[in-house]
Amino acid sequence: MTNLNISAIKSRTYDAIVIGSGISGGWAAKELTGKGLKTLVLERGREVKHVVDYPTAQLHPWELEHRGQLKAGVAEANPVVSKCYAFGEATEQFFVKDAEHPYIQEKPFDWIRGYQMGGKSLLWARQTQRWSEFDFEGPARDGFAVDWPIRYADIAPWYSYVEKFAGISGNRDGLPQLPDGEFLPPHEMNCAEQHFSQSMAKEYGGARPMIIGRCAHITQPQPIHLEQGRSKCAHRTLCERGCPLGGYFSSNASTLPWAAKTGKMTFRPDSVVHSIIYDEKKQKATGVRIIDSNTKQMEEYYAKIIFVNAAALNTNLILLNSTSNRFPNGLGNDSGLLGKYVAFHNYRAGINATYEGHLDKTTDGRRPNSGYIPRFRNLLKQETDFLRGYASGFGANRGQREDRNGWGEDLKTGILKPKLDDFWSVGSHMMGETIPKESNFVALDKDQRDPWGIPQLRISVDYDDNDVKMTKDFFEQLTEMYTKAGFKNIRTYDSNRTPGLDIHEMGGVRMGKDPKTSLLNAWNQLHHCKNVFVTDGASMTSTSTQNPSLTYMALTARAADYAVKEMKKKNL
Amino acid sequence: MHRREALAKVSLLLGGALSGPTLMALGRWDNAAAGATLRDKLNLSAQQKQIIAEVAEMIIPRTDTVGAKDVGVPAFIEMMINDCYYSPEHRSFMAGLTELEGLKFLQMSAAQKTDALKQIEQKTKEQMKAYNAQTIKFGDNQDLEAMNAVKLGLPFWRLMKELTLLGYYTSEGGMKASFEYVPSPGKLELTKLKPGQKTIVY
Repeated sequence: MTNLNISAIKSRTYDAIVIGSGISGGWAAKELTGKGLKTLVLERGREVKHVVDYPTAQLHPWELEHRGQLKAGVAEANPVVSKCYAFGEATEQFFVKDAEHPYIQEKPFDWIRGYQMGGKSLLWARQTQRWSEFDFEGPARDGFAVDWPIRYADIAPWYSYVEKFAGISGNRDGLPQLPDGEFLPPHEMNCAEQHFSQSMAKEYGGARPMIIGRCAHITQPQPIHLEQGRSKCAHRTLCERGCPLGGYFSSNASTLPWAAKTGKMTFRPDSVVHSIIYDEKKQKATGVRIIDSNTKQMEEYYAKIIFVNAAALNTNLILLNSTSNRFPNGLGNDSGLLGKYVAFHNYRAGINATYEGHLDKTTDGRRPNSGYIPRFRNLLKQETDFLRGYASGFGANRGQREDRNGWGEDLKTGILKPKLDDFWSVGSHMMGETIPKESNFVALDKDQRDPWGIPQLRISVDYDDNDVKMTKDFFEQLTEMYTKAGFKNIRTYDSNRTPGLDIHEMGGVRMGKDPKTSLLNAWNQLHHCKNVFVTDGASMTSTSTQNPSLTYMALTARAADYAVKEMKKKNL
Repeated sequence: MHRREALAKVSLLLGGALSGPTLMALGRWDNAAAGATLRDKLNLSAQQKQIIAEVAEMIIPRTDTVGAKDVGVPAFIEMMINDCYYSPEHRSFMAGLTELEGLKFLQMSAAQKTDALKQIEQKTKEQMKAYNAQTIKFGDNQDLEAMNAVKLGLPFWRLMKELTLLGYYTSEGGMKASFEYVPSPGKLELTKLKPGQKTIVY
């Protein structure tokens, strides 16, 4: 009997367990297996194999039954996820439907989730701007949240490391607020975008640049990309269906197959993590409890180190649900701050206008990217009545319209002769930094459970006065910039969109120097349970204005490197 | 299924008490289900199907390129109304079909058919005014069934025209006959305008 138990435990024991297979989990899997660790990757959803499990990727418009439209009732049944711009007939298989995974909105929060192998890395917007020193020193300089335990110099080499493998296109713009990376050739700006970029250079003398976004698309494959079986992005811009070319970076196309190739990875789908097992005698985590979503049975797996990469809010949920005598309020939660200081990006504001120059030209083709205005507000010093600032997108396109009056032959010929608009349509959206606060938090509900018997997450996150002031400033500053560029018909809009729809929720398990005021140290290691690492959005101390995924990748690779070195030193 | 009954079943599935917001979400789900019962599948006679085909073909006729019937637009319209529209549009769509049936549309000469459609097109302008003017009050969940029962749908002619264009220009035959279809452009670059060039769709 004892022998049987020992052999059963042995068969369930690995060097490392990675919880989650999205952007950061995929990187943890790649790094840990690459360093020779026998690694179990737990994924709560189903397996999605690169190419073969992208059922809509190769469909022509006429092969989508409803030509991309949702069936009646789908939006009503999914008031949350149907708000997401990427949710449609061709992509809905990669999104969690509202009723499948309930949560509690103490305040309105659109929680967009992708429960499958690869997670939301199949669905992301693929913008990969580096964070800068201004971002990492922000909380200390401006007196909010807590000081980051790292600076740009700590993460810079890891940005380079992940960029080379993932494939990031961009232009070397030489901006301190948006450091250059290891770039593949940049996408082109069109003439209206160049006009705006040049106007800004002239009007603001370099203080408000507009550049082409940096994004995770292969514009010129390098040997490392070909080795992954990935090829050049074809500008299909059907990315969220999954890319059969591997033109953009996803766990499915890149890190997970790479990890599998080592022979060291065991991938277990349908594994909903219940909690992390803490051994009071050994004073460390010894494994993970999962519920098999098919059998509904609880099972245990064991490892020396555990990487938690369940996506920001679910990582909070798992740690909060990992209780023991030592940690009655959640794993590593001596400070009582677990689940608190959650923040996001303010995407509620936008502006659009018309530009009447360059009317002899239009564009041919598509581009999976747009222009980008890095943060210019409060950059070098505090200059407004609100903290921090915002980045903005920028895009211009030449619309065309056809005469759709009448019917018959006239209509048919009319449609074949569209007329280009007498203007370029230009627009920007706001990407504002929000300030992490104790009052923006997630917690476990005491009574309500999800279909797997795990407490439901209660989400209480909202805008504050700083966000309102910043939104107003975005309208004023962008209107000024658009006016200086000679744009007309300038219109601003506040969508008042609910937090969460930015899909940039962060924090709750923040990094910091002091165990009294943070959960993780400079190596993304729980201060009070050193063999557990959190390297997804939950670990973020502040939010910056830049899209966060690239930073999760870099933090993950850096933490994995550290973890393995510590294991070799017998410190873990 | 009755609202509360449906709700009870969902509650059981999820295994416990439900929060306010979740109930709200499920309420909406349930309303969709209620909408679906209001919204029986179209039960079209052979004659009504013929009318749909005839009107679609008049909107996009076969010329030197394929027409609406050639690329399956009539069946597409029926499927889309069934799958993607709610009871108000089901009613307005059926009302339009019934009206044409009453006029013995299929027996008309080509000139008479054109006149009939012109009249319907003219009348649609007034119907659109009424459609756009209606104010919908969102009350509690119970209201939605009642609202759907009285709400004006998008007028028949608008539905026919929109769905004919959508069905035709996204069909393989219609798209390839009309545009240059480039699914993998591989670039975004500036281009000078060339007269007479086919529109490119991606």
